[in-house]
Amino acid sequence: MDFLRRIFFVDILKGLALTFKYTYRKVYTEQYPLEKPKLAGRYKGAPRLNNDPVTGETLCIACDLCAEICPEDLIVVGSQRDPESRKKVLTHYTFDTSRCLFCGLCQEVCPTNAIELTQDFELAAYDRRSMVWDRKQLENGWDRIHFGKDYHK
Amino acid sequence: MIEILLIYAIIPLIKIGVIVLFLSGAIAYLTLLERKLIAHIQVRLGPMRVGWHGLLQPIADGLKFLLKEDIVPTKADALIFTIAPAISLLPAFLVFAVVPFGPPDMFEGPLRWILGWFIDDTATITRIAENAIASGGYVTDINIALLFVLSVSSVGILGVILGGWASNSKFPLLGALRSSAQMVSYEVALGFAIIGVLLVAGSLSLVEIVQNQQQQQVWYIFYQPVAFVLFFICGLAETNRLPFDLPEAETELVGGFHTEYSGFRFSLFFLAEYANMIAVSALGVILFLGGWLRPFPNSDWLSFLDFIPGVLWFLGKVFVFLYVFIWLRGTLPRFRFDQLMQYGWKIFLPVALGNVIVTAGVLLAFL
Repeated sequence: MDFLRRIFFVDILKGLALTFKYTYRKVYTEQYPLEKPKLAGRYKGAPRLNNDPVTGETLCIACDLCAEICPEDLIVVGSQRDPESRKKVLTHYTFDTSRCLFCGLCQEVCPTNAIELTQDFELAAYDRRSMVWDRKQLENGWDRIHFGKDYHK
Repeated sequence: MIEILLIYAIIPLIKIGVIVLFLSGAIAYLTLLERKLIAHIQVRLGPMRVGWHGLLQPIADGLKFLLKEDIVPTKADALIFTIAPAISLLPAFLVFAVVPFGPPDMFEGPLRWILGWFIDDTATITRIAENAIASGGYVTDINIALLFVLSVSSVGILGVILGGWASNSKFPLLGALRSSAQMVSYEVALGFAIIGVLLVAGSLSLVEIVQNQQQQQVWYIFYQPVAFVLFFICGLAETNRLPFDLPEAETELVGGFHTEYSGFRFSLFFLAEYANMIAVSALGVILFLGGWLRPFPNSDWLSFLDFIPGVLWFLGKVFVFLYVFIWLRGTLPRFRFDQLMQYGWKIFLPVALGNVIVTAGVLLAFL
């Protein structure tokens, strides 16, 4: 039997059948920059500071809870008390994405859903300074580096 | 005068030009086919960016090879180093001078039509169109074509050996040594495998071998299955394809005989390897799979297949051969050198000899 197996190349033919089966299978490769991968719904990526969709004013009430709970101490919330309404008003907000471990504690603790970790995962930058996002970048999206033909424009 | 010029110079020159161009294109796209097929075997995609699904990749690669720096190592033997790729490439292309792509009357109709525009004399047109040298689907049909193919393809090995030697570097030298040992061992078995077909066909002319398959109403793979398997395996070894790619062996020898080559010269070696693949496939198709003939060439119940021209049958079969070559590369690991020698001398050669003896005996006893 073993002799017959060898002279009729049974094992080689089996191997060929296996590779042929794989040849016309669906391919796993993702064409990444052209097709964005599908992320899980709970994925935590770039931070965003949300505005009230109706009035356009920030939802942040400068309660400082996110800065308190952040294990990396990377959130800095600056506020000023409005002398008339006796309310705290947000003056500045910085978020250091280079140190963030994307634990999501800030978005869980936020009472007004102002800080939120979005699905955007492309956070690479050319230097460390540009990884510290200020309030403007957090609200409007950061100055993304666009790779492509219009990069130098 | 014009008649002789047409038959023996102009039409063959046109054919040579077409074949060289077509072959270059075929080689270029064979590299793409190989990359795509290997990629899909490994559940990848392969080249995707240059053109639709990487269809322009071969052109980009060719341009890259042309523009790259052409380095000759300081201590290399510059002259031999320079001519070795050419020695490797030329025989690979030369083989196609005798390969019949189609039947001897392939261009008869088109020739009559085209010549009708230029020549008024009907008799001259008929004489040219019915001359097999002008109208055949091949450049030339010589009566020792098979010997010509074997001898010319052995010259190609010289390029590999010279290239490895002239590089003055250990990996190319080892590759060249391996390649010479491998070629010598497997060419013997290949020759004996072909002799089996030769005995059945009774001719060395490739055109006549195909015509005899039509006369005997069957492809020779059915008469000579053992010879076919042997031919296929030895063909793999002759063209340095996996699982017999010991002369190159990227993982052991850093590319073997072409380690020191770069740019255009490297691409010549590359072209030669793929041209040899196509040549061996074409030879296998002619000897065993009936060249331009359709399956079961004389049986009527398959005659609905006759609308497909012979050239397409030929090219289709060659494509199947090449597909299997690449498929095997994606399946099998490389042999060890002692295994290679053992198979070559202890198994394939005796089996090939036995095949020749049995074939000759059967022919003597029954015919």
